[in-house]
Amino acid sequence: MSNLERAPRKSFNDLIYDLIFKNYVWQSIFRTGYPNTPRNQMLAVATNVFLHLHPTRIHRTHVKITHTYCLGGLSFFMFLGLTVTGVLLMFYYVPSVERAYQDIQALESNVRFGQLLRNMHRWMAHAMIILVLLHMMRVFYTGAYKPPREFNWVVGVVLFILTLLLSFTGYLLPWDQLAFWAITVGTTMVGSAPVLGDESKFLLLGGFSVGPNALIRFYTLHVIGLPLVISIFMAVHFWRVRRDGGLARPL
Amino acid sequence: MVSRAAAAIRTRPRREREAEVLVWPDLVFIEFISALIFSIALMVLSAMVNAPLLNRADPDTTPNPSKAPWYFLNLQELLLHMEPAWAGVIVPTIALVLLAAIPYWDRDQDGQGVWFGTKFAGRLTVFGFTAATMVTSLLIIWDGSLHVIWTENIIRGLGLNSDFSWPGGLDWFRNLRGFDTGIPWESLGFTIGGFTMFEDWRAIPLGIPGTTTDPWLLNLNFPSFLSQQLIPVATMVGLPIVFVLFCKALGWIHTRRDIALLIFSAFIGVYLTTTIVGTAFRGQGQDLKPPWDIVVLEE
Ligand code: HEM
Repeated sequence: MSNLERAPRKSFNDLIYDLIFKNYVWQSIFRTGYPNTPRNQMLAVATNVFLHLHPTRIHRTHVKITHTYCLGGLSFFMFLGLTVTGVLLMFYYVPSVERAYQDIQALESNVRFGQLLRNMHRWMAHAMIILVLLHMMRVFYTGAYKPPREFNWVVGVVLFILTLLLSFTGYLLPWDQLAFWAITVGTTMVGSAPVLGDESKFLLLGGFSVGPNALIRFYTLHVIGLPLVISIFMAVHFWRVRRDGGLARPL
Repeated sequence: MVSRAAAAIRTRPRREREAEVLVWPDLVFIEFISALIFSIALMVLSAMVNAPLLNRADPDTTPNPSKAPWYFLNLQELLLHMEPAWAGVIVPTIALVLLAAIPYWDRDQDGQGVWFGTKFAGRLTVFGFTAATMVTSLLIIWDGSLHVIWTENIIRGLGLNSDFSWPGGLDWFRNLRGFDTGIPWESLGFTIGGFTMFEDWRAIPLGIPGTTTDPWLLNLNFPSFLSQQLIPVATMVGLPIVFVLFCKALGWIHTRRDIALLIFSAFIGVYLTTTIVGTAFRGQGQDLKPPWDIVVLEE
């Protein structure tokens, strides 16, 4: 190969580069090298399953960090991180009143990086709520909800509610005093609704107070029900950002 | 007829290619860096601060204070100042519906796509946020009777009157419930033409037919209704109106967008204040306390 003739002139960096990016396996995954022409860069975005959420070009003002502060993207990133850490947590956790608390204790003391895993999941959940709120504020203060984006704002409000519900259902799972009483207080508020209050509370808890039925309901909603629903709404949300002509800008 | 939303899309100018940049590398790079920064920051946080884990859940041992997760403490805070149905369900539902409805009400295109797009947007935001934060704090202080304690301490402390206590005539102004317990409702009945009106303010017969199962509608406890429903709701409806009229008088409001800016900023102020008070300033029995005095007892 011509590589051999040119080898002496090649710097060490180039060698490493070629070794990593120009071997058979790599090129079977990423068919082209680093996209360094505009055409290839657009193709990279349009043909990559993850990147194609984006358009290939975007207005200059929207890549300025101070326009979005990346808040929507970071909310989504938190969701992805929570999914990954959440799946790992599911390996160690059984949602029964007998085992839940023990499992969390065991996770913290017996599992390598277990405590770190749990911390990551918890702090990312809090971060996501704050980021979603900040994202809503940035959308509001940039007037980005105006037509034709009305509906996407509504989808956003639903996403906000779903984010809170995801966090709330997760809160019960460690089955400690904090979890138990927070959910007791929270569901009592639901029960005070003037119509269907007691009924909704019963539906949520599977009983009159927080117990084994509530734990399994919250668990199921937390690990599959709500994530599915929020994924659908996120897909609509991102799709609508594109369909509404990208991010809002002055007419 | 073409809907306004559809018309808005069609009137968009054609895309100007020169003003655009490529998503790769410009945007992908920023996304990558921000994701990296957040990953590292959360890793560091998680390495330093552990997620809380208290004792195993015990339905027989109630912590005092018992608190909902922090993002619901704004509602738990409202709960202390009004009928639970309002605080826990009706107010948040209305707030979310109004929030979702903003774009259907504020539809004109000006101020779109730029930060604080109207002339007075900055002032409206700062005013709405600050004023709402201050008014909310004052209301919480008042309903927590801190003004009573402070007045007593100041007058005693200055040596003006060493055993001064809040005058009975002002009992109605101790806190919100003062309108219920601090007013001699029993002696407020009166007679018109030999017919006694409101003999008992605490059981005004409404007799709404078909409501026999709901004692609330059968006999209205007016003092409690006044302090737990009428005044809180009037405050929540009235203050935004006052804010809007005030800023109108200052000449800051010209479009619906301006009103939206003012009210949304005020909402953020209330949301933040109630969340912070509920999280850090509520001790046993949900009494107002500075954060360093708060201990959780198990009872
Ligand atoms: C799980 C929660 C959410 C996620 C993951 C999310 C994600 C995103 C992303 C990635 C964008 C692109 C621009 C940007 O990053 O700012 C966006 C735009 C938008 N979001 Fe969200 N969002 C969420 C919640 C919300 C909420 C709560 C609202 C409002 C109530 C909202 C309303 C909008 C609107 C109107 C746009 C278009 C903005 C424009 O055209 O400039 N979203 N969202």
